[in-house]
Amino acid sequence: MKDEPPFAWALSLLVLAAPALGLKAAPAAPDLPFPLIERFENFTMKDGLPSHKVHCVLSASDGKLWVGTYQGVLVREEGKFRKIGTEDGLSHPVIMCLAEDSRSGDVWIGTMRGLNRYSAGRITTYTQTSSGLPNNVVYGLDVVGGSLWVATAAGLGVLDLKTGSWSIFDQSNTVMHEPWVYAVKGAGDRVFVGVWGGGILEYEFSTAVFKEHRDPDRDFHFDLVPDDGPINDITAWIAWDDGILWQATYFGMSRYDGLRWRTWQEKKSPLLSNFLNFIWARGRVAWVGTDRGVSVTDGDTWVNYRTSPQGQGLVEIARPGQPPQTRTMPTHLANDFVLGITADQREAWFATSDGLSHATFAQAQK
Amino acid sequence: MVVLLTTVGVLGHHYGSEGHIRRKLGQPPLAKASCFYCHFVSTTRLAWAQPRPHHDSPAGLAVSPDGKRLFIALDDRDEVAEADIGSRRVLRRAKVPGGPYGLALGPEGKRLFVTCRRGDRLAVLDAETLKQTDSLPVGTGPTAVAFCRTAAGERLIVANSMSDDISVISLAPLKELGRPVAGREPFAVAATSDGARAFVANRMVGLSSVKTVPASEVTVVDPATARVVRRDTLESAHLSEGVGLDEKRCWALTPLVKVRNMVPITQVAGGWVMSSGLAISDTKRGGIVQMPLDEANDFFADPSGVAVDPAGHRAFVASGGADVVSAVDLDRLAAWLGKADATERQEAICDLSLSAEYVVARIPTARNPRELVLSPDGATLLVAERLADSVLVVDANRLAPLGRIVLGDGGMEDPIRRGERVFTTAAYTFQHQFSCRSCHPDGHVDGLSYDFDGDGIGDNLLDNRSLLGVAGTGPFKWNGKNPTLEVQCGPRFARVLMRTEPFPPKQLRDLTTFIRSLPPPRAARNQDAKLTPSQERGRAIFFATRTPDGREIPLARRCVTCHPPPLYSVRLPFNIGTRGEHDTTEAFDTPHLLGVADTAPYLHDGRAQSLEELWTLYNPNDLHGVSSYMNKIQLNDLVEFLKTL
Repeated sequence: MKDEPPFAWALSLLVLAAPALGLKAAPAAPDLPFPLIERFENFTMKDGLPSHKVHCVLSASDGKLWVGTYQGVLVREEGKFRKIGTEDGLSHPVIMCLAEDSRSGDVWIGTMRGLNRYSAGRITTYTQTSSGLPNNVVYGLDVVGGSLWVATAAGLGVLDLKTGSWSIFDQSNTVMHEPWVYAVKGAGDRVFVGVWGGGILEYEFSTAVFKEHRDPDRDFHFDLVPDDGPINDITAWIAWDDGILWQATYFGMSRYDGLRWRTWQEKKSPLLSNFLNFIWARGRVAWVGTDRGVSVTDGDTWVNYRTSPQGQGLVEIARPGQPPQTRTMPTHLANDFVLGITADQREAWFATSDGLSHATFAQAQK
Repeated sequence: MVVLLTTVGVLGHHYGSEGHIRRKLGQPPLAKASCFYCHFVSTTRLAWAQPRPHHDSPAGLAVSPDGKRLFIALDDRDEVAEADIGSRRVLRRAKVPGGPYGLALGPEGKRLFVTCRRGDRLAVLDAETLKQTDSLPVGTGPTAVAFCRTAAGERLIVANSMSDDISVISLAPLKELGRPVAGREPFAVAATSDGARAFVANRMVGLSSVKTVPASEVTVVDPATARVVRRDTLESAHLSEGVGLDEKRCWALTPLVKVRNMVPITQVAGGWVMSSGLAISDTKRGGIVQMPLDEANDFFADPSGVAVDPAGHRAFVASGGADVVSAVDLDRLAAWLGKADATERQEAICDLSLSAEYVVARIPTARNPRELVLSPDGATLLVAERLADSVLVVDANRLAPLGRIVLGDGGMEDPIRRGERVFTTAAYTFQHQFSCRSCHPDGHVDGLSYDFDGDGIGDNLLDNRSLLGVAGTGPFKWNGKNPTLEVQCGPRFARVLMRTEPFPPKQLRDLTTFIRSLPPPRAARNQDAKLTPSQERGRAIFFATRTPDGREIPLARRCVTCHPPPLYSVRLPFNIGTRGEHDTTEAFDTPHLLGVADTAPYLHDGRAQSLEELWTLYNPNDLHGVSSYMNKIQLNDLVEFLKTL
């Protein structure tokens, strides 16, 4: 199904006036260090989605797409969506996060009330009353080795998938400043933990010790010294790949390569917005979900996807040492408030506050 | 002497009096107790802690590709035996430590794969020498193994009965590729000849609310990827201990016990409580039909192993409680299924007259036939007669016994063995509907709650309790009214459950001897290993007399007051605030905690599905120990400690 702009006449005018406004049509394959989106295909409640809000997306190793919404999970297989809801045994309809155990293919589903394991059609529920789960509000998940790491509203839970034993880490037994754990990500020999109000914790398996990364200036609204550490302690999400950790906050974005930090804010960089909901890492590239669209960057080159006030899809490209370019697209995100992303070399999917977007890339990339 | 006895009597009366017990428990006792409830308690003196005779009980079987040699797992002896089928002679035995239980041969017949149920490992033996060539740790309690060859290489699929998972193993190199979760207590496994799928039968139903219809599953695995691809549900059925494949029809055959635990168990006379069946699942699509194996007035309890002939004409099912192997004509069964509509298929399991359509023979065996296997040409059926220490050799075409491979003397001098024979036979129940083992597989528990009272269907369920480790933990029953196992298993049991004459005195004595010999479930922790920091913290909570902030925990509400070691039970009933609306009492027996992690669900009516729920949901007034002060870390620590008992 195609997304229809709300005001077709305005779009027509914009397209006609685009050359006069300095806007160009999106190039098929510009020379970029990451894929360029060519078009979006959107899925909304009109197309059968169970809710406006789509919170998270997961591209599973068997090719299925898992979509977490405000009203259950959708599984897309061979182009068709199948819903899994509380009627099927899910502990709660509001899905917060998804993670796959790539060895077993089991999908873990974090909800506003409990954790669920989907294993070949069977759903097993873990709640704070029935199991060792620290809290029912599950914000983030990652399977690291033989354990499931669970970010909850009352600390970090670790479930040993072989023994079924739970461990809990919170402010009572770690350096965690606050118990509100929003994100967790395995990083080879360590795990990074995003804490709302507590920056980032780094857990090293060899020492079994948590190390804290905090915003050195501890200021909520200003980043007094750039590149001195996490940009803010309000960690909304984290991502890690290829040795690079990325931090999304409501006050900007940070990157950590194990030695140095870099930080970005909207006024001093092409970053679309300081309000970051989500970040997805692939290789050394970050895909950033903000309240104003999506930024894609390797830290130097940036491409932003947003929707103009007139409903026109826009691509903004910023290369180091070159003037920024803004181009139009024939389609745009379902909504610019982006809550979740998954991307590979072929395609990307975006969870937004009003629908799900599927992005196809231009053919040739660097 | 008189003075001494008088003094002891007076002191005994004084210190054994209610006042003494009240001082010890912090509350008045709700039942009478003797000095021995608290004093002189030692697990080392209990029957299950004593050495016992070992027997040549055959477990898994495997036939060589030429059909001449039979390999037999002897778990109680820690041996694997090799026998010549033609002469029915045992050729040799080899030590395989760890309780060898399940067997599979490689296709060339040179490698023998053995699951060691107690040792939690897979052993690879050279089939010519019976020498171990390799070994690999797997999950806990592996009971069965199947070999298959996939496009990705050779694979072994191992059912790990205690850790509820499946080890998928590559052979070159010998390595565990994955350990996907199974159902509850995976017990048997079979793989298709092309290696595309493996089917794992699970013995117990999944945990669910006590008032929902229970269901077990057949777990379908892709051996190449080590992933579960499907879970076929066996509704209202459990205790599947075998799985066989009819590849021609794309059928997986799984023996089962059709259980109706939510009807009053007094309905045994109506044939309502449990019956035997065979689940036929479509290996491609997963649809399941459950077909009866029993007859209207005669039951064949405890179906266990199944074997299907290579041509797909016949299946053989061992009935461990009936000492029978039923021969099922698969062609006739297929013909019936071809004619039946969806409703008839759905209701088939309840129509016991149907078995006459396809059960073509009942082959008598010696005691407790369990595992069975066919020779590669399908001509010879071999049946492990577990409690007779023998293997029955049957002409599978003529359905006639040819003789036996004798492994041991049957152990009739051993009262424990005699008692196990009583425990596993359905001869004493009405129409042979069930044995003790039907609810207590291997003496453990089936994880179900049953409606024992005549107060309406499904209104007042009672959790079934494990018999493992019950020696010395009397009185018995949830109301604690049966002082001994002899009473528990005696005439009243016969009237309420068996609906026949009670066990004869000698058999009753042997039966209780066997039950007392059953050790507690194997704890998750290696008993020699040190406690982890979490378990140590949990131990401190268990034995705590004060909360972490220094408040004294009332004596009556300390864990250790009612659950003192070594049995972790003071064996008296208490009110812990769990009386249900249909209960006639508020005081329930204090269960022992040995192996407690392996006995879910919990509480007298099975309402708590996990140890955590005992305190998070069902202890609102701190009557079942003071738990309201605990945070999640402390509760997790306590649970981790309990898992070590």
